[in-house]
Amino acid sequence: MNVKKFFLILTLFALQSANAQLVSRETYLKEFEKRASFVTSIYDTAQSSGYYQAAVRYAHGKDIATADKMVIELLRDPRGDMFWMIPAIGTYLQGKDRMSPEARAAMRNAWKTYAPYRGDTENHWCMYHASLFLAAEQWPNLPGSEWYNGKSSEENLRDAKEYLIHWMNITTTIGQGEFDSPDYFPEYAMPMILLSQFAKDPEMKTRGAMMADYIFADFAVEHLEGQYIGGYSRIYQPAVYKPLLSGASAFAYLYFGTGEPTNSGWIVLPALSNYRLPEIIYSIALDRSKTYVHQERKRVRNVIRFGAEKNPPVYKYSYITKNYGIGSLQGGILQPIQQHTWGVRYTYGRPYTTIFGLHPYWSALEVGMFFPEEVKTLIADVVASKGTYNNPDKWTGGSPYERTFQHKNALIVLYDITPGTTTEHIDGFFPRNLEERIVEPSGWIACKAGDVYIGWYPLQEYEWKEESDASINTLNDIGRPQLERVKETGNWRLRSYKPQNGYVIEVRSKDEIGSFAQFQSALNTHTPTAKLQPGAVSLQYVTLSGDKMEFAFPEKRTLNGSAIDLSKTKLFEGPFINAEVGSEKMTMTYKNKKLVLDFKAVKISE
Amino acid sequence: MIEEYKKVRHRWNAAWSSLIPISVFVLVVMLPANLLSQESTVYASVLSTKLFVVGAANPETGVFYKKTTDDTVWQHTGPKNIRDFGLAVHAPSRGQLICIAAGNGVHKTTDGGKTWKTTTGWQVTEVLSAAIDKANPDFILCTTPYGVFRTMDGGATWAECNNGIKHVFASSVLIDHSDSNTLYCSTEDGVYRSGDQGNSWKRTGLSVDGVRVVVQHPKDPNTLFAGTDNYGIYMTRNGGRYWEKCAAGLDHQTFYAIAFDPNNPQVLYAGGYVTGVYKSIDGGQSWRRMNEGLTNLNIHSLAVDPTNSNRVYAGTLWSGVFCSLDGGASWRSAGLTGSQVWTITVQPF
Repeated sequence: MNVKKFFLILTLFALQSANAQLVSRETYLKEFEKRASFVTSIYDTAQSSGYYQAAVRYAHGKDIATADKMVIELLRDPRGDMFWMIPAIGTYLQGKDRMSPEARAAMRNAWKTYAPYRGDTENHWCMYHASLFLAAEQWPNLPGSEWYNGKSSEENLRDAKEYLIHWMNITTTIGQGEFDSPDYFPEYAMPMILLSQFAKDPEMKTRGAMMADYIFADFAVEHLEGQYIGGYSRIYQPAVYKPLLSGASAFAYLYFGTGEPTNSGWIVLPALSNYRLPEIIYSIALDRSKTYVHQERKRVRNVIRFGAEKNPPVYKYSYITKNYGIGSLQGGILQPIQQHTWGVRYTYGRPYTTIFGLHPYWSALEVGMFFPEEVKTLIADVVASKGTYNNPDKWTGGSPYERTFQHKNALIVLYDITPGTTTEHIDGFFPRNLEERIVEPSGWIACKAGDVYIGWYPLQEYEWKEESDASINTLNDIGRPQLERVKETGNWRLRSYKPQNGYVIEVRSKDEIGSFAQFQSALNTHTPTAKLQPGAVSLQYVTLSGDKMEFAFPEKRTLNGSAIDLSKTKLFEGPFINAEVGSEKMTMTYKNKKLVLDFKAVKISE
Repeated sequence: MIEEYKKVRHRWNAAWSSLIPISVFVLVVMLPANLLSQESTVYASVLSTKLFVVGAANPETGVFYKKTTDDTVWQHTGPKNIRDFGLAVHAPSRGQLICIAAGNGVHKTTDGGKTWKTTTGWQVTEVLSAAIDKANPDFILCTTPYGVFRTMDGGATWAECNNGIKHVFASSVLIDHSDSNTLYCSTEDGVYRSGDQGNSWKRTGLSVDGVRVVVQHPKDPNTLFAGTDNYGIYMTRNGGRYWEKCAAGLDHQTFYAIAFDPNNPQVLYAGGYVTGVYKSIDGGQSWRRMNEGLTNLNIHSLAVDPTNSNRVYAGTLWSGVFCSLDGGASWRSAGLTGSQVWTITVQPF
């Protein structure tokens, strides 16, 4: 080895180490304060009325009279259920020592007279009970006549604490239900951060911090520049194809310093809080120097009928590099309405940094599994708030006729759609800003997104459809912005109408395979063999890396001759985060650092 | 003379005055309600209105009530934003005791709606129905997607009681009016019966999927009817041992509501998914559709005024309440327009 080469290697190593070690704690905290200050900066001068505008004024000790006026005005007619409870109690906790007696009285009165709906999902319950717990602590020893639900302070405190501990227990033993949701991450982070700062009960204060750490660690290990790597339990349009629009990305900006600067309201209360990420979590979040596989076990939301098991397991597989991530759930109905089964995310080409596919399925049976209303009218109920649910062109949702098999950066997706199903086609999303989208003679569609290359091998005939609808923000029938009806221009939809169907996805970066031409060549020498008969859909494929994958719909997966048993998947398994099913414990490791969240002992240890 | 007359008159008035409370007591308590007046109270549980979204500025939900003589104006009582699936009004207390079965749990009032308390904890959620024992108002049952829950102490404590039920999603429950040890509940795999206040359950002879409602004959406790999702209406005359399908005249298969005329149990009404209202005048042997004036055929609740058998109420999915004053021959809107009305009950006070 000559001297020049030695120094080059040394320099590269130093650069990599710098990237991996990233920043000192002191620097991180300083940068965090800058971002927190930026996030809140527009709120303490904003004249529009809102809880966050008031909370920031109280926290900053600025223009308290305006904050009081806003609070009193807003509390004349509280609306929003748990989406009111969190900002209301957050504002109170920030302002109670500075607000006027009138504002304080208005807040107290609201918790006496306004009855929020408890909701019907995990995020609703989490926000509802965390807020109620904090409120009951603030106003102790009051009789039931002083609370909206007729329960005394002590009864509310006990009930809320019980639920929160139940949720933490189930999450740390068999997995989160509304897991990895780019749009619902804030609904868990906010209440846990508030508990960590304001709970008077030492156990709940610690639990709040631990659970915040838990969900941030989950995010840290599966994000790429602020984008959650799919699949997900829930995501809305347009965040499904513009990943940085999601609420989780705002948290990534505030806590990891990645993604795009934002003043999102979701991060106002966190920006005011004293909760700070443990060093190990942001170190994991910011280190993409090494490629890794990360696997998780989550759970299906409560199945209340039409199923044998209340919370069947969800298995997630992610492959993450510094340039891209590809992740997948095993397929099937794992969550109602907004499931995202698989996707590729990459760093190039904001805002359309993704390619994914789906079978746009809906049925009364699906929603009847999760909601108690009458099955025959449930779709109408659902569509009232999730406007795309029964739209054949939708970009979110799971399907019982879809299954996946992923190994590293190769993914097989198979479909065996029963005739008469609500839709008998499958769709693929290809963003408009791809540099290349070339159909190779072999059948592979080779795409280039900067230094990331994506190959898509369709198993059946298909057509390209341009997403050409005007991008207009419309209002729904009751005057709310109907974001889900927004369609983007110029993106491309691959549509195939064959019910026995599927595709193979390969993703590589320039670092991994060289030029785009080399990627194309590699694809052209690797084509799958498929059988596509009703009830007998299967595929054999040797990946660009030489692994032999065999997949028979729905659940027979074989890798290099060995059967894959998904049921052995741990809660978390990867180089950074590990947790056993049933353990109530998460272990984070990064270089020589270690952090253990032990929910049985309610203890954080290093 | 005049002074004497005044004294006598005073004593006369005083005597009548002292009798007035007694007479009112006799009239109110001792006489049958339907001899008193033609005015009853209708209670309706509003689940939601169109375009309900959790966390949005939704219109009021919950319990609404009105006198039968009022036209379409309803009053609200209780929490205003709770997704109210069902309600139970305790008739012996003349509506002082009411339980709401709602998304937030079981809400209870014991003072006719002046004050309310959520009696259940976080475990009891999305409550679909409630039933109060007439004789012992501390014995209350509710059904949820997670099964049947009961309290024996008026709601101070609740316990799950699903022993023997295979698929616990339970849509309705009733307490046998002749024996409060006996209960029936409708579930996703048939109608279950308990002979011990819910300690254990056994499936009756009806084992079809998706039973949505079970109701009991007001006089004969062994006669029950069950409405199902997809399988029509079933009837038993022996406490559930054997059920027969009601077929004559029924062109639909999904029924969410069945109601007896309490004064003449040979008369029944039934409704469900796009059915409109069916009426039977022969104890369920045959049925006939009665939809004149009904602008929404999705019926989720039905009730007959016990003080006037011709006055019938139908709660719809998204079109509020309809009322018939001629035993179902014709209908007109009775308010709560746009609402999903899951439960209706008419009480003779």
